[in-house]
Amino acid sequence: MKTRRQILKGLIVSIGGSSLLNSCGGIAQVNISTNGMNRFYSDEENAWVSKICDLIIPRTETPGAIDVNVPGFLDGLMAEWANSETQREHHNSLKKIKAQLGSDYLTIDEDSATNRLAQLDTKAFDGRSTDFREYRSLKGLITQAYFASEDGALLEQKWVAVPGSWNPRVEI
Amino acid sequence: MTDFDAIVVGSGMSGGWSAKELCERGLKVLVLERGPEIKPERDYVDQLPPWEQKNLDRISQEEIEKHYFKQYPGVAYAVKESNKHFWVKDDEHPYETVEGTEYDWLRGYHTAGRSIMWSRQSYRMGPQDFTANKDEGVAIDWPVRYDEIKPWYDYVEEFVGVAGNRDGLEQLPDGVYQPGFELTDAEKFFKSSVESKFPGRNVIQARVAHLTEATDEQRDLGRSNCQARNRCHFGCAFKAYFSSLHATLPAAERTGNMTIVHNAIVQTLEYDEDAKRVTGVRVIDAQTNERRFYSSKLVFLNASAIASAMILLQSKSEAFPNGLANTSDQVGRNLMDHISGAGANGLINGFENQKVFGRRPGGIYIPRYANITEKGKPYTRGFGYQGSASPIGNAGGQIAGIGRKFKEAHRSPGPWRISIGAFGEQLPNPNNRVTLHPNKTDKWGNPIALFNVSYGENEHVMLEEARKDAVAMLEAAGCTNINSNPVNLTVPGNRIHEMGSARMGNDPSDSVLNKWCQTHDVPNLFVTDGAFMTSAACQNPSISYMAFTARACDHAVKLMQDKVI
Repeated sequence: MKTRRQILKGLIVSIGGSSLLNSCGGIAQVNISTNGMNRFYSDEENAWVSKICDLIIPRTETPGAIDVNVPGFLDGLMAEWANSETQREHHNSLKKIKAQLGSDYLTIDEDSATNRLAQLDTKAFDGRSTDFREYRSLKGLITQAYFASEDGALLEQKWVAVPGSWNPRVEI
Repeated sequence: MTDFDAIVVGSGMSGGWSAKELCERGLKVLVLERGPEIKPERDYVDQLPPWEQKNLDRISQEEIEKHYFKQYPGVAYAVKESNKHFWVKDDEHPYETVEGTEYDWLRGYHTAGRSIMWSRQSYRMGPQDFTANKDEGVAIDWPVRYDEIKPWYDYVEEFVGVAGNRDGLEQLPDGVYQPGFELTDAEKFFKSSVESKFPGRNVIQARVAHLTEATDEQRDLGRSNCQARNRCHFGCAFKAYFSSLHATLPAAERTGNMTIVHNAIVQTLEYDEDAKRVTGVRVIDAQTNERRFYSSKLVFLNASAIASAMILLQSKSEAFPNGLANTSDQVGRNLMDHISGAGANGLINGFENQKVFGRRPGGIYIPRYANITEKGKPYTRGFGYQGSASPIGNAGGQIAGIGRKFKEAHRSPGPWRISIGAFGEQLPNPNNRVTLHPNKTDKWGNPIALFNVSYGENEHVMLEEARKDAVAMLEAAGCTNINSNPVNLTVPGNRIHEMGSARMGNDPSDSVLNKWCQTHDVPNLFVTDGAFMTSAACQNPSISYMAFTARACDHAVKLMQDKVI
């Protein structure tokens, strides 16, 4: 059984290979291809999205974005929900994000990758420049997908299906 | 001998009440619903957790373009992948608007109609709402005053179950309430700030049709208390919010007097010129195109303000060449909705050490003050605000940071945001109307609706002022980061409060219905959906439709007992 890091490393080293991530669990309602092939992302795009997912929402005491298969979810979302215009925009967004992070991004070490993404994130949320709209949008999708997963909702958000009552004042 | 004592056209908010009241008074009642049957155990999707909602519960963009191009943009907060079967497909149920105008006709064709998708805000009309037309010389006078309808509000609220507080406001009369959903501390602070700075304004709990202390009668119908899940647009397995499906139709059913037929699209009402009575209803089956006729002694139209008007307009005869009960030429006219598109939001500070538990169905309400407690406004009538103050919580990724810190930031409730939005009164205007399209029909051969509705100056001025007032109230509470976009007046129909298309009045020459919602022209024909409204007020109207329907049913049965009809 490979670890999450090994899976990611494999993806990054061998972009031409198929995504093993799609066989992971987490978000049930995505029609993931059973043959392990993505339906929307190229293998290269999948590797980029996977890397960004892992750095934005890593595994901590709770599962991270890779553990709950956010990349596979986004692949399914784009294949099933998005129309051709949104699909084209999403492809273009990834190109822009790749340019902003640098073409060597997938080959640099973990700390460097983290720093470079943190710098991009800072710019994206500092003044709301339109230059980083694509990154903010991808980050939003990753976050929504993660917290819509069973682990994200139950373990991180402490989502309760049936609260049973309303309490307007809970001291933290 | 007729097939039934009464026929009720439509099973929604008011149709359910007609069915219940007439059945409980011993009449054999046929309820005609144009859509398919909804079975909660099969069709509700309120139990789906987030991870079982396909594609973040988003309808595919291609499907929206093909089937939901009006419904989805009109009410995107409620139309989702999992519950799209509650909303009509626009390509199957087309309508048109006169060039240069817009209209959102947002609908659900199925058992209980839109009563399973409504937002459940339940406010009585106040005394001023029944006299405003007369006082201001607008349109025609209501033939009813608040004191006459008050007992019927009491009656329906007790059955419905409304959670709210008794606030003692003359313009927004108190009703029969179950315990309300307590305000958050931030809302209480906002309330005290606003009421201190603006003595004529009040901030109160939203009044919502949710059970919080279910009565024996409500439990007998299988209903139980609200579980604070906020999944109401997807149905409710607990039957905690009021809908025809949860309350009135089961009450009618248990009498043994109700027959309900689905997929029955009413085309016309049959009129006997000798007897001067409606004799029955002609329908076409939505699935088989089979045409049928049902006879009855009494007909209640509860198809919604627009559909009821269209049925009348389609029912032409020698006696009524312009449509049944339309000698006044008011059928289809005076079409009103409420107006929104003005408000403000901002951060309300000092509550960062608190969060909430549960997801309540309503927040705060600011009852109308304009031209009541505050005079001299540059517009007539007024508006109420709906809103809430709650932690921002999960910001959907739109905060800075990556990694553990970013992930764990979503555990925090974060700062508190307050948001309020206006619901204003649209004035009646006979030129705002729905008519039958002169040459286009739907797939069943029925003329499609043609809307010609636009707002007047009063609506525009009112909302500009509502926006300013909203900002001023947030400022009074010391809010920061206040946002208030320029007014973007909602498209007519968008608030899904269509009303006025067969208004009631004292004079048969300028109104369709008398004070009992009985048509002036045809004694055994009643219209008790939103069509009867002579003016719109600014309160969410459903509870008023219910009260007037119950009252009309009581009157109709007395007329039958007295052999008047």
